[in-house]
Amino acid sequence: MNDTALRRIFTVATPLLLIAAWWGYVELFNVPRFVLPPPDAVFEELVRLFAGGTIWPHLAHTVGIIVAGFAIGSAAGFALGFALGKWPRVERIVGPYLFFFQTAPKIALAPLFILWFGLGLTSKIVLTVSLVFFPVMVGTMLGLRSMPANLHALCAILKLSPRDKLLRVELPAAVPEIFAGLKVAAVQATIGAILAEWLSGGTGLGYLMVFAGTTYKTPLLFAMVLVTSLLGIAVYQALALTEKWLLSWR
Amino acid sequence: MGHKVEKLKPAEKTSSLPVLVSAQAVTKIYRSRHGDSVEALAPTTLDIHEGEFLSLIGPSGCGKSTLLRILSGLEPLTGGTLKWRDGPPTAGSDVGFVFQEPVLLPWLSILDNVRFPLDVFRTSRAEANERARAMLALVGLGAFEKSLPKELSGGMRQRAAIARALVYSPRIVLMDEPFGALDLLTRDRMNDELLRIKAETGSTIVFVTHSIEEAAYLSDRVAVMSARPGRISAIHHLDLGPQRSEAIKDDPRFYQWLSTLRKELR
Repeated sequence: MNDTALRRIFTVATPLLLIAAWWGYVELFNVPRFVLPPPDAVFEELVRLFAGGTIWPHLAHTVGIIVAGFAIGSAAGFALGFALGKWPRVERIVGPYLFFFQTAPKIALAPLFILWFGLGLTSKIVLTVSLVFFPVMVGTMLGLRSMPANLHALCAILKLSPRDKLLRVELPAAVPEIFAGLKVAAVQATIGAILAEWLSGGTGLGYLMVFAGTTYKTPLLFAMVLVTSLLGIAVYQALALTEKWLLSWR
Repeated sequence: MGHKVEKLKPAEKTSSLPVLVSAQAVTKIYRSRHGDSVEALAPTTLDIHEGEFLSLIGPSGCGKSTLLRILSGLEPLTGGTLKWRDGPPTAGSDVGFVFQEPVLLPWLSILDNVRFPLDVFRTSRAEANERARAMLALVGLGAFEKSLPKELSGGMRQRAAIARALVYSPRIVLMDEPFGALDLLTRDRMNDELLRIKAETGSTIVFVTHSIEEAAYLSDRVAVMSARPGRISAIHHLDLGPQRSEAIKDDPRFYQWLSTLRKELR
């Protein structure tokens, strides 16, 4: 048997084995449903959510927050990362505050955001933005700073205007680092959106999780964990594919 | 100036050529953070003639790269003057520079890399393509215009870098140990390529190397430099004729020059 065939068998067999072990444990030890539901109960719950249509408004709400938070956070992170990368003096001024802001646990800041921006969408997007911002900023800054000295010398020899240098050399050279930041940010955006919904409001995947937990609807809770994980993977993959396309020269 | 020891051989071709740029008592002093200063280049005087191939050789720290970077405008000089025949270089198209590494833009194809200076100078697309293709053919990369830099070997990348430096016909081409990172066989082949390209374009080339053989094989003139402080200790006119080929490496005069240069570098 060759390697690829073996790998394929493992890809299919591993999750099946895990599900079988889970099922076996629940059946053998008669575990109560609200502690650990059997896999079929979780599956039924998933079918009910999607076929019955109850999940769509919640999913749309969460995806909306992710997209808005990711867009605003990336734009802001790029802008500040750009300023820090181009003018190191700016870093000496704002660096300590940024460091403080980044080290502060966001979950502790979340109630503050609710106080400041209310229980609506705004505070949720702000929380997501605060998580997305930092990795994109660091990526952009590193990307601009890590340009090889010889590339700067080439621009000097050809007397490139600052605009040409930026658009034709510096930004394209920074794309790999910027994307590294965006990929981390995409996962953070998903966490941020769920966390925000967890804390306030009556819609969203995060809200459904809280609802499931507090009412002992464990199959629903498990279904939500599955859905949010898949959503996170989808968001990450979307970016990874864009990166692959943009960075085909690597 | 005591630093300039011209040993002119009679009736050499380049000595009759007009002076393109004249470095007069050019100096470079670096100041360290503690305030001490290091004289990288003592007052140096050197004329570079139109169309000649001039090599700068010497041990590391002799200021050969510093002198080259001063000529390129990358490094400001501390003292002395540079007198250019047609005024100092102001446009990006005045100077061609080849680094030790190819310094290609990895996201651009080979054709786009060679065309890059022309794009920056706003040459029309049709003309830029035509000139870049002609230059790629000249360096033997005609079949690789669509390739990415990572897909080529080190020697091929360096050829692309040379094509990029020549594509806009600069007034002077400066090369800073361009073949230093290549293996010996590739280096020999690149030397022949460079001679051929030089014969076709007639460019003025200043070439930094620490290989005596490379300098003797390629150059009309060789400036020998020594360190602490960096200075030119001798300038030799090599009477090996303008047409160089492998055959010259068996010429007794070639051996003579190798031994002369080797002694001076000691």
